[in-house]
Amino acid sequence: MRIESEKQLRDYRKKLADADKKLTKKIMVCHGPGCLASGAEKVSEEFEKQLKRKKITGVTVGSIKKTGCHSFCEKSPLVAIEPAQILYTRVKVKDVAEIIEKSIKGDEIIERLVYHDPHSNDAIPKYPDIPFYKHQTRIALRNLGKINACDIDDYIRVGGYEAAAKALLKMTPEGVIDEVTKANLRGRGGGGFPAGRKWKSCRAVESDVRYVVCNGDEGDPGAFMDRAIMEGDPHTVLEGMIIAAFAVGAKDGYIYVREEYPLAVVNLQKAIEQAEAIGLLGDNILGTDFSLHLHINRGAGAFVCGESSALMLSVAGNVGEPRAKYIRSVVKGLWDKPTVLNNVETYANVPMIIANGADWFTSVGAPKNAGTKAFSLVGKVRHTGLIEVPMGTPLRTIIYDIGGGILKDRPFKAVQTGGPSGGCLAEQHLDLSVDFDTLTKHGSMMGSGGMIVMDDRTCMVDVAKYFLSFLVSESCGKCIPCREGLYQLHKLAIAISEGRAQESDIEKMEHLSEMVVTGSLCGLGKSGPNPFLSTIANFRDEYLTHIRDHKCSAGVCKELIKYEIDAEKCDGCMACIAACAFNAISGKKTKPHVIDQELCTKCGACVAACTREAIMVL
Amino acid sequence: MNSRFVVKPELCIGCRTCELACSFAHAKNGRPGRSRIFVLGGGFKDLFVPVTCLQCEEAACAKSCLVNAITRNPETGAMDLDHDKCVRCMACIAACPFGCSLFDEQQELVIKCDLCGGDPACAKFCPTKALEYKPVTVRALRPAI
Amino acid sequence: MVSLTINGKVVRAEEGEYLLAVIRRMGIDVPALCDHAAVEPYGGCRLCMVEITKESWDGWKNYVTACLYPAEQDLIVNTHSEKVIELRTSLLDLFLARNPETPLIQKLAADHGLTKTSFEVVPEPNDCILCGICTRVCDEMGFAAISMVNRGHGREVAPPLNEAPPDCVGCLACAQACPTNYIKFEDIGTTRKIWGREFELLTCEKTGRPTITREFAAFLSKHRDIPEEYFKVNDEAHRDELASTMGRITRWSVQEETK
Ligand SMILES: Cc1cc2nc3c(=O)[nH]c(=O)nc-3n(C[C@H](O)[C@H](O)[C@H](O)COP(=O)(O)O)c2cc1C
Ligand code: SF4
Ligand code: SF4
Ligand code: SF4
Ligand code: SF4
Ligand code: FES
Repeated sequence: MRIESEKQLRDYRKKLADADKKLTKKIMVCHGPGCLASGAEKVSEEFEKQLKRKKITGVTVGSIKKTGCHSFCEKSPLVAIEPAQILYTRVKVKDVAEIIEKSIKGDEIIERLVYHDPHSNDAIPKYPDIPFYKHQTRIALRNLGKINACDIDDYIRVGGYEAAAKALLKMTPEGVIDEVTKANLRGRGGGGFPAGRKWKSCRAVESDVRYVVCNGDEGDPGAFMDRAIMEGDPHTVLEGMIIAAFAVGAKDGYIYVREEYPLAVVNLQKAIEQAEAIGLLGDNILGTDFSLHLHINRGAGAFVCGESSALMLSVAGNVGEPRAKYIRSVVKGLWDKPTVLNNVETYANVPMIIANGADWFTSVGAPKNAGTKAFSLVGKVRHTGLIEVPMGTPLRTIIYDIGGGILKDRPFKAVQTGGPSGGCLAEQHLDLSVDFDTLTKHGSMMGSGGMIVMDDRTCMVDVAKYFLSFLVSESCGKCIPCREGLYQLHKLAIAISEGRAQESDIEKMEHLSEMVVTGSLCGLGKSGPNPFLSTIANFRDEYLTHIRDHKCSAGVCKELIKYEIDAEKCDGCMACIAACAFNAISGKKTKPHVIDQELCTKCGACVAACTREAIMVL
Repeated sequence: MNSRFVVKPELCIGCRTCELACSFAHAKNGRPGRSRIFVLGGGFKDLFVPVTCLQCEEAACAKSCLVNAITRNPETGAMDLDHDKCVRCMACIAACPFGCSLFDEQQELVIKCDLCGGDPACAKFCPTKALEYKPVTVRALRPAI
Repeated sequence: MVSLTINGKVVRAEEGEYLLAVIRRMGIDVPALCDHAAVEPYGGCRLCMVEITKESWDGWKNYVTACLYPAEQDLIVNTHSEKVIELRTSLLDLFLARNPETPLIQKLAADHGLTKTSFEVVPEPNDCILCGICTRVCDEMGFAAISMVNRGHGREVAPPLNEAPPDCVGCLACAQACPTNYIKFEDIGTTRKIWGREFELLTCEKTGRPTITREFAAFLSKHRDIPEEYFKVNDEAHRDELASTMGRITRWSVQEETK
């Protein structure tokens, strides 16, 4: 069957919705990356098995499987019971029978499995009431946790491909571009460049061939928003690309997927096949004379392949290394043809803009920063996971309301946004609004949406050192400022963390950073010194303590700390003696133990072993 | 109007002035270059032949050059070798059937006749007119090369 | 044609022509280590960076590599502004940390007032400046026998898997084009060694002198239509052949004329 008109699409959707109404209950087992890692697959198998054995009908098992990331990853595996909106957390295989008995057959809520407020310990059974969800607004991630990624019918039921039909059948390419321009959709891959303007310039270039490309390389450590979308809602990426291709006049498109995301490749491939089978992709989409063929490329496994010129070379089959050029890819991109490159999340927003209009989109978010942004919230917050918030949301809301505050209620120290070459913001920035311009103004950046929260036990010199070492190993090595400059910056950061540096080294690093920023060939090098620049701007004193006093106040830099046992607290249990692999601890049972500083390698094993917190970091 | 070398070996007295002129015309940093023209024995007693590049129509040197360092100069008609492009692979030296692309050990360059930009020094200095560079219209009986 | 200003002088250039060419034509010296006429510009050494601006840019300045930036109407270029010189000096400082013993780098650095790097010299420094000229030349010639391997600081030029490269024909172009003579090769008698491979050099039937490798000659015959017999003798013997042919013709025609 091919869908060839808007009416056919509507009829098809109605049929699906009617069938769906027959289902009284739906069990949504999250198959997002976090839940899969903590055993979601076994849980969904168990559900299937038991439902079959108990001959329970009227429940979709089909749609329980493989919903995309429900996003509260910290509590994974997650199981939601719809339409009641009940969320069960940390569900084990052995909980399945009880869930079926009480919540499927009956309408009982199992208190033990629902979320409890960490402060009041009140049970919050419905997920929209959980603070983690309450402060979120979902546009790009709208379908995650709600539909089966591998079922185009599920996507169509929730309104999928309506926007594509509207664009192709009722709008002109220029009209689409105008709408996206008015919506002020800015690129979610990091730069924040207005998508409408990009599309317009691409369309304006005279050429017989144009391409649309989707950047799904997502190389930032800890980030998984794009992965969640590609795995959990692949059709929204396709729909966004169809609309973009129609707008710029492209007949071929490429989705470049990070090497480590095999499931994304599988799901996208299935989605392409399903959409082609019913005429929503391929030749003569929706019966029009517009055709688009989408192809998937596996990433080459390097962070720098996410950079636009490197990505395009890699798609074309060359070594994925940035190419120095001063001609934009909208003019000369893939195979030197005009090309639009957008990020996964950017495309995921497009159908919503076309369906609901630019005015609706700009009503969400902040001035000049319309809409929402997805982040993967990780680090020392109570609740980690995938979140989407309106632009302009204060950092404080994200960290304290959605994230539930700092783990163990320790003091907040910094938050790192923007991926490895982003920056660290401090306490005084907590009330800043999260949007492209504000973050950039304060020395960080939006990046593709990693957000790492740090507490007082994080050393900022160490943080800079860590990200610099990531960038040093991910630099492609083509141009000297990045290859040698970041290497030397990293060396100097190491010297500081080991107490071997002088105060003048800070100035030297600042000078070198400026040169690397101006001199580098691609974005990696140009933003490479950021980990240093943003930490020195906000935590200069911490650098100085390392240099002047040879002290690491966070107790992280090994060369500058020592472990000692507090004789008052030590009860001589000998646990630390057993834990120390270097035989550095001695002492008799029930008598306070001592650490031999000569033998101690500062591995921290004893600290973890001591139940009385008697081991002090000095 | 096409100028060409007109060589009359019977007039050549083997003085090798042309070679000297070529060397000096191609001096670099005050150092004369290797001559691109050779006065060689013609196989008979007292017969000398000045031999240099024929600027072939379908030139083997240009065909063999994989970096396109040898191209026809539209003004002079010479097959010019771009020293900035040349990577000294020696392909053209091996490929030229007349041995007229060669290596200058002193300057460490692959060289060939460039018609001195349209006014060849060798011909200018030949005392006997055994070597002339002039417009030719009809094909002479003598090989015009 | 466009007209632009370079160091205060108005000059004309082809539209799209790279700035470096225009700058050089004016006789201005800008260091450019990864530039080679035989291959496309690369933008790796960053030494050719210049400052650009336009009347309409409201005082905003940009720093771009001249080897890659196309000449534009009304562009104002400064090849030696204070900031540009500072940039180049810092770059050379970094180069010196990587190639401390390389004469080419030492000389350029000295021109910029540096005799010693202010950074830590890298472990096991060598003479390769990673300009990528060798690999690009080899690609351009159609062999692609060697390439850049490893990322970042560990980058180096090497044949695939660090084994004798199967696609190498031993033309020596890489070694000849290398600005620091880092690529080692050896010609002993009729044997040539490069990149861990051994090649046999063809020898001239008349003079017995070696010419090019058998593989290179075979490539030129196959892909460039050069008859195999051309490679039987060297250039010197070819010239002798030409001289005797011309000698015979001369003899014959002089005899004809006197008849
Ligand atoms: C080193 C480097 C890595 C990048 N990695 C990614 C990436 O993983 N995903 C992405 O969408 N954009 C990445 N970008 C940004 C892209 O170059 C490009 O700007 C983006 O894909 C454009 O899409 P957008 O306008 O929709 O954001 C990276 C840029 C640089 C310099
Ligand atoms: S800035 Fe870094 S990653 Fe980019 S081209 Fe230069 S060396 Fe490669
Ligand atoms: S030696 Fe130079 S001119 Fe001759 S073929 Fe090689 S690159 Fe071309
Ligand atoms: S010698 Fe080998 S590696 Fe070097 S340019 Fe020639 S073919 Fe390439
Ligand atoms: S070997 Fe020579 S030509 Fe090749 S990258 Fe190194 S310095 Fe450049
Ligand atoms: S010559 Fe090396 S960057 Fe331009």
